[in-house]
Amino acid sequence: MKIKGAKAVHYDSGPNMTPLVDVVMVILIFLMLAGSFGGVEHYLVSPTPVTKTGGGANKSLVPDDVQYTITVDSPQGFGDRFVAHAGDLATSDMAKLTDALTRKRKEFNAAGTSTEKVLVFIDPGRTVKYKFLIDVYQAALQAEFTKVSFRPAH
Amino acid sequence: MRKMTMPDAHVSHPNVTPLIDIVMCLIIFFMLVAKIGVSTGAEAMDIPASIWGTDIKDMGNTLTLNVRPGAVEEPQVTALVKANGTGEARPTELKLRDPATGQNQLLNTLKMYRKQNDQFKVIIRGEADMPYRFLEPVLVACADANVRNVNFNTKKISERTGG
Repeated sequence: MKIKGAKAVHYDSGPNMTPLVDVVMVILIFLMLAGSFGGVEHYLVSPTPVTKTGGGANKSLVPDDVQYTITVDSPQGFGDRFVAHAGDLATSDMAKLTDALTRKRKEFNAAGTSTEKVLVFIDPGRTVKYKFLIDVYQAALQAEFTKVSFRPAH
Repeated sequence: MRKMTMPDAHVSHPNVTPLIDIVMCLIIFFMLVAKIGVSTGAEAMDIPASIWGTDIKDMGNTLTLNVRPGAVEEPQVTALVKANGTGEARPTELKLRDPATGQNQLLNTLKMYRKQNDQFKVIIRGEADMPYRFLEPVLVACADANVRNVNFNTKKISERTGG
């Protein structure tokens, strides 16, 4: 005759967590695949997009701003090249252009003209590619000019 | 004599509580940072790259214009436009010269948005290899509509890679 003694020890395993983990993992994978994150694109801001000859339509343009023009051209038949003319400099090297613009900005400041009073115009040719204009625009921003605008194509 | 028996074998299951805690934290993180179902009208295209740039936190006051070279000498401009500035936004091609009415749809749309919102901004997405003559009319329309803030959307690149 089997005599049973004290009750067998029973370990309480709790609720089964496996389905919960499965559902949570599926939700996580969905969010990882469906979501799109920022951080891969940004924006270059232009306060005065373009001016027409004679002052333009944008009322925010201050009439007594000092204007400085950077001319950008693409050599005939070489659409994938460009040359930026800033003062005496003619270059397609953005580092040189940035240095030249920085020197020019410091000249303006030394002459008592604050950077906010200087309006840099980019004067592109009709065939200059947009990506080159962005490079020139960026060079002007790196030189710490705050107001950069475009002229109609020459 | 007391009979000695082998104790019951008990397989110890792993404790999944910390795993669930970590996974829940990850889910909350992805729910907060991911942008799901938010469309700004930006279309896939090869935009230029730049090292410098700023982020726009509030996209509510913006209109994204996708600019591509058109068939004739005019650009093809598309955007997510709300009819009369209200209601659901739909992808729309904004012609610079409507063949039927001769009107500048792009200018009219920009004026409409500008009239409704003093903080109205335009975001321009253009093909990197697009000649300036296609971008110029868009910028002129923005100036004519008195848009005070035009932002050029670029890919972010680091100074090391240089794009």
